[in-house]
Amino acid sequence: MALSPLVLVIDDEESMRDSCAQILARMGCRVETAADGEAGLRRAGEARPDAVIVDLKMPGMGGLEVLDAVRTLDPQVVTIVITGYATVDAAVEAMKKGAYDFLPKPFTPDELRLIIGRALERRHLALEAERLRREKKLLEDNVITLVSHQLRSPLVAVQQYFEVLLAGMAGGLEEKPRAMIRKASERLTGLMNLINDWLDLAKIDKGGLVGKLRPVALRPLLEKQVEFLTPVASEHGLVLAWGECLENIPPAWGDPASLEQVFSNLLHNAIVYNRPGGRVEVGLGEADEAVLVTIRDTGIGIAAKDLPFIFDEFYRVSRGEGARSKGSGLGLPIAKKIVEAHGGRVDVASVLGEGTTFTVRLPKAEASGPSP
Amino acid sequence: MSASSAKILVIDDDPDFREAVTAILASAGHRVVPATGPEDGKAKILTERPDLVLLDIMMDSLFDGYALCHAIKTGQEFESVRGTPVVFVSAVKDIAGSRFGFHGGAEGLSAPDDYLDKPVKPADLLALVGRFLAK
Repeated sequence: MALSPLVLVIDDEESMRDSCAQILARMGCRVETAADGEAGLRRAGEARPDAVIVDLKMPGMGGLEVLDAVRTLDPQVVTIVITGYATVDAAVEAMKKGAYDFLPKPFTPDELRLIIGRALERRHLALEAERLRREKKLLEDNVITLVSHQLRSPLVAVQQYFEVLLAGMAGGLEEKPRAMIRKASERLTGLMNLINDWLDLAKIDKGGLVGKLRPVALRPLLEKQVEFLTPVASEHGLVLAWGECLENIPPAWGDPASLEQVFSNLLHNAIVYNRPGGRVEVGLGEADEAVLVTIRDTGIGIAAKDLPFIFDEFYRVSRGEGARSKGSGLGLPIAKKIVEAHGGRVDVASVLGEGTTFTVRLPKAEASGPSP
Repeated sequence: MSASSAKILVIDDDPDFREAVTAILASAGHRVVPATGPEDGKAKILTERPDLVLLDIMMDSLFDGYALCHAIKTGQEFESVRGTPVVFVSAVKDIAGSRFGFHGGAEGLSAPDDYLDKPVKPADLLALVGRFLAK
């Protein structure tokens, strides 16, 4: 504690106030005194004492009343009552009202020191616990945002310098350093994606990523993804196209932004773990209460032994050094968690060397949502 | 302002980011006035009267980018610079889903005129500045 503890003594007997004040001052406490309940309460409100010693039997406002009132002002304040004649009843009553301890008159300086020492220790611990509780709550509420900001800021600055260098805006670059900066920049992008993915997972686990559910027409949502990823597929020497796609598929019950992420992740995987000359096909269908989206690739496939693990966080099928930096290892777990948060399911079927099909099953809006 | 060169106020608490963005803008002949945070930016928009404001969202104080943008768009003290375009430049992922709804002006905050994700692509930034210069 930065300041020495403040003790308020409320007693109608002047000699009692003075002797308590002397003993407490010698212990290193700051002391305030008041001669009656009303004055004591005013002082408590102004000075915010750590501990209050109050005589139970006073003219005017009684000790028990004062006790209640000071605890309303500060629930963590420690209170000690002085009982005139050692009536157990009054002491018990006071303890029931939350008094920390009682001092039967007459008491010795040592008894006062002992009790007030323990009381202040308790006050200290209670405040400390309260502070930690508040800090923990604040951290819990904001940890994702804080971590995100703190982790991303330096990386953004580094990447911004790379962008400037690669654009030749800080002077010309020879081919070799340029190639190295490009690689450094790519690795940094990979790291930023990893952080973003990890934060998304953390948000889903806290129930924060999937927004409000509403009817979502999947066809336009998928068309946007296909349009966006077609150039990426071309870069990989692949064709991204529509496969079997039924007309008049009812809308799904979902959050469009997180569903976009699901399909973006699955399509990315289908493109990245593919072969030049291959295909990625997007299909749309329905079954009973569910809308089905299939993403089929003619890629490298997944071995049966790996299949049970592909939705695990950071699990990556080992494919030698070449595939090392292709993804964060979190794209599939994110997709799965989002779909499951919708009450849906992701299934996978794969043949090594031939390709993989992911099927996303989402509840139909008509079955899940409020009827329009 | 001249047809090709603008005075741009860059409000960002990261000096390295300001330096990098300044290099991009300077390469196209624009003049950059740096501001180290919302308070500094608030003062400089009035004294420097820039053609465009690039504003980081900087959420670590209560008077953040959102609040400054809202002040520029609605505050009485900014009446003389009311038409100055404000562009959010931020690493806040998914601006639309955060505290600020870009299209809806959630929480009653005024929208910026545009936004760019950090890190910014030099070509995107210069194209955006060009668009506002042309207006």
